Formats: sequence, C-alpha cells, structure tokens
Amino acid sequence: MGRNPYHPKPTDEDSSSASETDTLLAGVGYTVRSSDLHHVADRLEKLDSTIIAAAASGVPPEFLCSSAIHYNPSDLASWIDSLLTEVPPHSSPSLWTDATCLPPPSSFSIDAHRLGKEEDAGIRLVHLLMTCADSIQRDDLVLARSLIDEMRLLLPLIGVGYGIGKVSIFFLDALDRRISFLPQPTKTVLEDEILYSHFYEACPNLKFAHFTANQAILEAFNGCDRVHVIDLSLMHGLQWPALIQALALRPGGPPALRLTGIGPKTAKVGLRLAEFARSVGVPFTFQAVAAGRLDSVRVKPGEAVAINSVLQLHLLLSETGPIDSVLTLIRELRPKILTVVEQDADHNKPAFLDRFTEALFYYSTLFDSLAAGGGDGGCSAAAEVYLQREICNIVCCEGSERVERHEPMGRWRVRLGRAGFEPMHLGSNAFRQASMLLKLFSSEGYGVEEVEGCLSLSWHGRSLISASAWRARADSAVALVARHRYIIL
Amino acid sequence: MAGSNEVYANESRTVVPLNTRVLIHNFKVSYSMLRRQDGSFDRHLSEYLERKVPANAKPVHGVVSLDLLLDRSTNLLVRIYLPAPTVTGNELPQQALLSALQRPPSPNPFPVIIFFHGGSFAHSSINTTIYDILCRRFVTLCGGAVVISVNYRRSPEFRCPCAYDDGWTALKWASSQPWLRSGEDAKLRVFLAGDSSGGNIAHHVAVRAAESGIHISGNILLNPLFGGNERTESELELDGKYFVALGDRDWYWKAFLPEGADRDHPACNPFGPNGVKLDELPFPKSLLVVASLDLTKDWQLAYAEGLRNSGHEVNVIFREEATVGFYFLPNTNHYYEVMEEIRSFVNSN
Repeated sequence: MGRNPYHPKPTDEDSSSASETDTLLAGVGYTVRSSDLHHVADRLEKLDSTIIAAAASGVPPEFLCSSAIHYNPSDLASWIDSLLTEVPPHSSPSLWTDATCLPPPSSFSIDAHRLGKEEDAGIRLVHLLMTCADSIQRDDLVLARSLIDEMRLLLPLIGVGYGIGKVSIFFLDALDRRISFLPQPTKTVLEDEILYSHFYEACPNLKFAHFTANQAILEAFNGCDRVHVIDLSLMHGLQWPALIQALALRPGGPPALRLTGIGPKTAKVGLRLAEFARSVGVPFTFQAVAAGRLDSVRVKPGEAVAINSVLQLHLLLSETGPIDSVLTLIRELRPKILTVVEQDADHNKPAFLDRFTEALFYYSTLFDSLAAGGGDGGCSAAAEVYLQREICNIVCCEGSERVERHEPMGRWRVRLGRAGFEPMHLGSNAFRQASMLLKLFSSEGYGVEEVEGCLSLSWHGRSLISASAWRARADSAVALVARHRYIIL
Repeated sequence: MAGSNEVYANESRTVVPLNTRVLIHNFKVSYSMLRRQDGSFDRHLSEYLERKVPANAKPVHGVVSLDLLLDRSTNLLVRIYLPAPTVTGNELPQQALLSALQRPPSPNPFPVIIFFHGGSFAHSSINTTIYDILCRRFVTLCGGAVVISVNYRRSPEFRCPCAYDDGWTALKWASSQPWLRSGEDAKLRVFLAGDSSGGNIAHHVAVRAAESGIHISGNILLNPLFGGNERTESELELDGKYFVALGDRDWYWKAFLPEGADRDHPACNPFGPNGVKLDELPFPKSLLVVASLDLTKDWQLAYAEGLRNSGHEVNVIFREEATVGFYFLPNTNHYYEVMEEIRSFVNSN
C-alpha cells in the first residue's frame, strides 16, 4: 500500500481559498477554516499533552478542566483556544462567536409502539387530515366537508388516549371550525392566565424558558450595581422569583433591581414580587406598563438593561405586524442582553397545507410529551386547552387574527441579525443546569440540545422550544427616529 | 507516558489527513474531559459537546430519515433512513414517508441494515452527525437499503446487557414489520452492523438471533470493540499513539461491564475463558474490518480466529496504516475501499 496510502479525491478543498471552511468537517458539524486546520491541530495536540502531563502528575482532567465553560463547540478554533486559556485555570475570557445560519429541516417522530391495527386507523386519519387541509387550500370546501365527516367516523377506532389520536381530534375540530366560518371563541384575560399557569405546571417548557433566560441575564448583570429587567409579558411573573433569589445570593451582594412588567393587570404581581424581593434583601422597584406600550418604557442612565421576551415576538409577525418597530424600540433601549424564547416550529408558512402539516406533527410531539410527562390530571387537561387554542389560531385564523406565527430559531437568527443584534452564546454551564433540572423534575424523553449558541428543549430528539440571548451590535446605528410609537401587542 | 505521546504525534501526521486528525483528536481531547476517576461520566457536558442533526423527512441526497420510539419503558429510539419515497402529486414529504411505513412487502429485494453506532458504549447517539452521515451513506451504497440506527442505552448509567437488550428489541421490531420484507419470498434481509462498541453489540445481538431462529444475512463489524484481561502486543505497542490510550479503554470496559466483572467477561471477550460456544449455532457470515493502527487489533484478529474455529465464515479486511475513525470522512483510500467491501458483502448475501 505504501507509506502514504491516501490520495485526496478531488474536492472543493483543493482549490479553495484560505478563508473557506473545510467542507468535510462542516459536514460532520464542525466549522473550521481550511487555513486554520494546522493551527487547530497543533492546539489540540498541545491541550492533549497538557492533559496527559497533568494526569501523570496526579491532576486528572476532571479537575484540570472543571472550571472551563464551553461555548459553541462547532467552532473548533475558538473552542480550543478558549480551553487552552482556561487550562490551567487563570484568566477565562468568554468567547462570543458569530455563526452561520442553518436551514431548519422538517422533522417529526412517531411512537412506533402504537403502530399496529389501532395505528393503521391513526395513520389513515393523519392522511385524511392532510388531504382535507389540501382541499381547503384549493378552496374545495365540499370535499373538505365530506372528508371531515369521514374522519369523524374513524375517530372511535383510534386510541385517543394520547399521541397522534388526541391531537388529531383537535386538528379535526379546527378544520371544521374553519370551513364552518365560526367566529373565534371569546377569550378573557382571566381564562388566559388560568390556562397559562396550568400549562406552566404541566410540563417543563415554560420553566426551561424562564430558567435559561434567567441564567443568561444573571451572567450579563455580572458586576452591575443597578439593573433593570423589562418583561415583554409579565403574566404571573413566574420567571422572576428565581432571578431575584439568584441576585440576592450574588457574591458581593445584590444589585438594585428595577422590574418593568408589561401586560394587563400587572400591578398586583408587581406587589407580590416586591414583597419577595424585600424578604431576600434585594432593593427592588416595580413599574407597571400597559399591554402594548413598550414605547412608554424609560431606562435610566447607568443601569444595565435586560429585555426578556418569552413567546412574545412571534405574535408580531403578521403582514401588518409591528415586529420591526418593536425590535427597533428594543435596540433603542440599549439592552445589555435581550433574551428570546420561541417555539421551535415553522407555523408561519404562507401555504395553508404546509402550515397545517407542520403544526400537526409539532403538536403531536408536544401532546405526547404532556401525556408521558404524567403531570397531575387537572393540569394536563387545562394545558391541553391552552395548546388547543394555539392550534385553533394556526388553523382557523388568517391576517391579523392569526397571531401564533411560530418560526424556527434559524429564521429568528436572520431577523434579529437584520435588526442589528448579534448572538450571545449560551454556554455549557447553562446547558448543564438546564439538563440537570430536567432530570430532576421531568420524565425521561426530555433533552436539551445546543445549536449555534442557542439551547432548546427537546422531546425524544424533536426540538420544542428554543432559548437564545442577544445584544445590540456595536456597529448598528442607534438612531432615535421620530416615528409612530404605537404598537399593538 | 507523556513523552511518548510527543514522538508519535509526528507519526499520525503522515498517515492521517489533516482534517481527519483534527476530528479524531478533538474527540480524544473532549472525551478525556468527560471520564471521571470514580467511574462516573459528565453526561451533561457530553451532550453539550456532541454535534447533532435532527431527522429529516425532506430528501437530502435522495435519503430521508425519521425517528421512531420503539419502547416507551426504556425510551428506545431508532432513526430509520430510507431512499426518498416517490412523492405523488402534491403530497408532502411527511405523507410520502408515512405511506412508506405502511407498504406491504416489496417484490424487489432490498437489504435492511440495523446499525449500532460506536462511542465505547458511552458516547454518541443516533443523531450524532458523524453517524447520521454514515447511515445515509449506507442507504445509497447498498442500492437503496433501509438503515435502522439504534439509540441503545449507554454506560455508565446503563451497563451490560442493556445495550444488547436494546439491539435485540430493535431486531425483533424489524422482524415484525411487513414493509421491511422484500423479494418473492417476502423475507427480512437483515444485516447487523456497527463500529467500535457498535460492532461488539452487533456480535452479541447476532448470537441471540442465532439462538432464537431469526436469520441474519451478515454481520458488518468496523473496528469492533473487544478485549480481555491479558495485554496484547498491539495494546502495549500502540498505547497512547494514534488517538487511543489503553487506560481509556480500561475505563470504558469498567463502565460497561457488570460491577465486579473483569475483561474476560464474555461481553468483552466472547472467545475467551468465559466465552459461549458458537459451534452449533447458525451464526451469520461476518465482514470484519481491522485498522492496523488500532491498539485493539489483536483482539479483533483473535475474534476472527474464534469465529473460524467455531466453523463460521469471516472475511477480514485488514487496512495497513489506517487508524480508528477512518470511515468518518471520505478522504482516504481506506474509506472508499472499505465502503466497496461493505457494498459487495451486502449485495452478495
């Protein structure tokens, strides 16, 4: 065979310029510029030797590297460089790197355990649902109606206990509503709040969102004496006791915390949070701001600002929606960090059938996780209603009425980039803590994934909800444009 | 020990392409941060560092994939890869995929490859990118195979025989699916395949299959993980060179084997002093790929010997100057020639 048995097959790398990435490594998940390969290889060797030498002298890798926080493992060059500065532990600068966008694939998982006679009916029902959606897209409402009738006949044959069966009923009902032109059921703020808190209890999704955002905010507030958190939708303020607690325990003492809560009826929540903050010794003031009035929020000079958006931004994405002006407003508040948590799903596709199908498989996974989660019966049922409303909105509504316009994290990355934000990568410590919490409080099947600095909660490998952190790019002009400051949220 | 690593760093530079070296060395370095002295494993950091890719119902180079939950009690997931089904009219990819799962046996025979990823029983999952790529390759390599990648439970959280049980569950499931059968006789034409620990699992699942009357068309073992109490020549000679150290191997065995067991346990050393006799069993033919710079090569060659002595056919592909992990990147003769061997093995059986 000879001393050097390999001959590179002709690939792009042979004629690539120095700034191009190695395509083979990119294919397996690592971004390394071809011109950096030697450097990275040398650094890996150096770290390896350091680890081996330390182990030989009695310091195993687990102690040598224990304080290291890892960021964006795909970027091997910066990962290895940052490790080498942390090992042995001396200065540990955190490295934020920009990353390229990946197109979101369309994926779903099915519970094969249910595959059998019962699931033949279930799969048939799924086919019919998609065919019905297709007929609606083509405006053939007569066919749609007859398919709905046929599907209702199938329902008794399917185990509607959980999985695709249960969620199919909700989609079937939604399709029925759509072609019957029934108006949307009226919602009250009280109902919203009750359903939200049951959803919060029934599964780890919102807890994951809150926890991950808090972790990022806490780190961003390091060394700041006066901090201001602006929550785009306060609800019950469930996210904040944990942050207040963490700030109270901060080495060196807590900062003075200002919380601005946007939404209906936030004053009572603010009072409760103020009491809690007082009880743990965190200087605290609360500002209530009416829903949709982000424009009336004021920041004080010298305070570090965190803006928190949990499942809010997608509501602004309709054709006439104010997403751009809201993002501009956010940037003008000069936040140190913007935390964004969104459903990781593509429910804003223009074509109805595409949207319908994506939603069918996403909510099927979500309902499966709810059912297997084994939360107490009461919470699960209300959580299902909470989700059913989202389904109805996605399937039945159009135009400005359709607010559940979920988009995958990849598209948010582009949009936020265009609006003048750059990503702050969530690191391995946030990952580890989220992962540990999941293990303690939730059923097997949940996982945490890291993709390009964002963390997402997944159920059997399918990403459900994604958390990310951002800051305004230094070069983006913060122009105070005199424009309409009126937003509908 | 620290010194010898220096000397042989030069060696790997000349036999391994640069990007492969970066890849495998990255694994070595990051894995070393995960193994703890007390036998525990930093699973959270491991999951964080792993590069993963989700299943995709949309064809990528003609292959689609989807994840199935086979067993809720053990959370056993598999990822199924198949040639992109023909989409009729306005059908969405998901619809076409669902239809494919409900097909009756196909008249045209196709192979089914049940694949067990490597990682020394502790690392990697079905959605780890290097393995997703490999499985996709197998689909097209074997002219439209269905590949089933098994997300077996890993050590140290789950010791032997959990991984074997999971492999067995996947095989039984595959045998129950009409859409996986093909040919005039509507048979399941299944191969068991795996690299590193996956190769070890493939062997043990094949034994169970042989004992239970499920016919396996062949075993494909890529650098399979075997060992024993004895230190072989290759282990001593290659220790610490070419990305693998003996101490690390020991750690993984200790994490996988039942508490208190040593490396002559039959899981680790199937033809050793505690081995099970395979002579009477209808054990499948094997294709065994051995890399000359893999420190466990002596155990792999001993495994081949053991198969032959039991009267079973094994084709050993011995790659001179190949290291572990040569099959991750398509940039060497080793890669292309071994893929060709796999293709012809599957097609002729």
